[in-house]
Amino acid sequence: MIKDLIIMNGYGVYVWFSFGITVFACAFLYYKTLKKLKKYEKELACKILELSEVERTAELKKSKILNQVFLNYNK
Amino acid sequence: MISSHTVITVVRNFMFNIFSISSIFSIINKLIKFFSSLIFIALAVGLTFALLISPPDYIQKDSVRIMYVHVPSAWLSLASFSIMTLFFILNFVFKIKNLQLINYSIAPIGLLFTCLAIITGAAWGKPTWGTWWAWDARLTSMLALLFFYVLIILSLKFISPLERSLKLATLFSIIGSINIPIIKYSVDWWNTLHQPASIKFSGSSTIHSSFLVPLFLMLLVFLIFSALIFLMKYKTEIIKMKKKGLNKYD
Repeated sequence: MIKDLIIMNGYGVYVWFSFGITVFACAFLYYKTLKKLKKYEKELACKILELSEVERTAELKKSKILNQVFLNYNK
Repeated sequence: MISSHTVITVVRNFMFNIFSISSIFSIINKLIKFFSSLIFIALAVGLTFALLISPPDYIQKDSVRIMYVHVPSAWLSLASFSIMTLFFILNFVFKIKNLQLINYSIAPIGLLFTCLAIITGAAWGKPTWGTWWAWDARLTSMLALLFFYVLIILSLKFISPLERSLKLATLFSIIGSINIPIIKYSVDWWNTLHQPASIKFSGSSTIHSSFLVPLFLMLLVFLIFSALIFLMKYKTEIIKMKKKGLNKYD
């Protein structure tokens, strides 16, 4: 049964190559995208932390997005 | 008499509200979590149908299973390019920043699926046609689409100032969009190695339901994956923009 699934009447090499490369490419794009997102979230949170107390309060009050990113990062 | 300027302003305000970044951002996190939990279930079901439950074709035997990754990839590559072109044109007319961010996020997804459509197509071509590649109309027009994706991504990434890079990307997307109907109808217009469409949105499809079910399940998996990547990229672009806004304190 498993041998049949791997060999697939002689077409296994083409089928597994196609599924394999699809899964690998999608996983690679997912990993790169997630890594980049985390990097920029961290950089933005650090940038907010670098601001003075007054500037930070003003910016967080002004922007919902900054507020969310900052809160998520500090969780 | 309403002037064209008034119409553009009204449409622009309407679209600005729809595509307002802060209203969208609050639901992005929830959607990312939702799609992340959904994708593994969908992938498990899709792969089970594609590799185990689906029967072999009576002519192509088990090589028909390549269709379950090849066809959704090709559909998504064409759909991504069409959406991108529409948004480039809308952005060119109405100058809505959010449409730029959406296009930055769609382009890599389209490029990935175009590459996958070409590579899996070659892997399907070898056992069925006896060759990995032929300069046939469908294959060549897909290769042209890949070049257009590369041109758009390169111009968005490396050309400055921003206005010039956007103009260039819009131009490439408009020229590239001429290629979309060529890809779609190439199998009807010319004698090609590639078979004509088996699935028709108007009229009856010439494909059995035992192949259609896994195909649409895999399409669903690809759609969920695309949505997930799009949302993550889109969120990154918004954060990048916000970070630039804070540079005034430097």
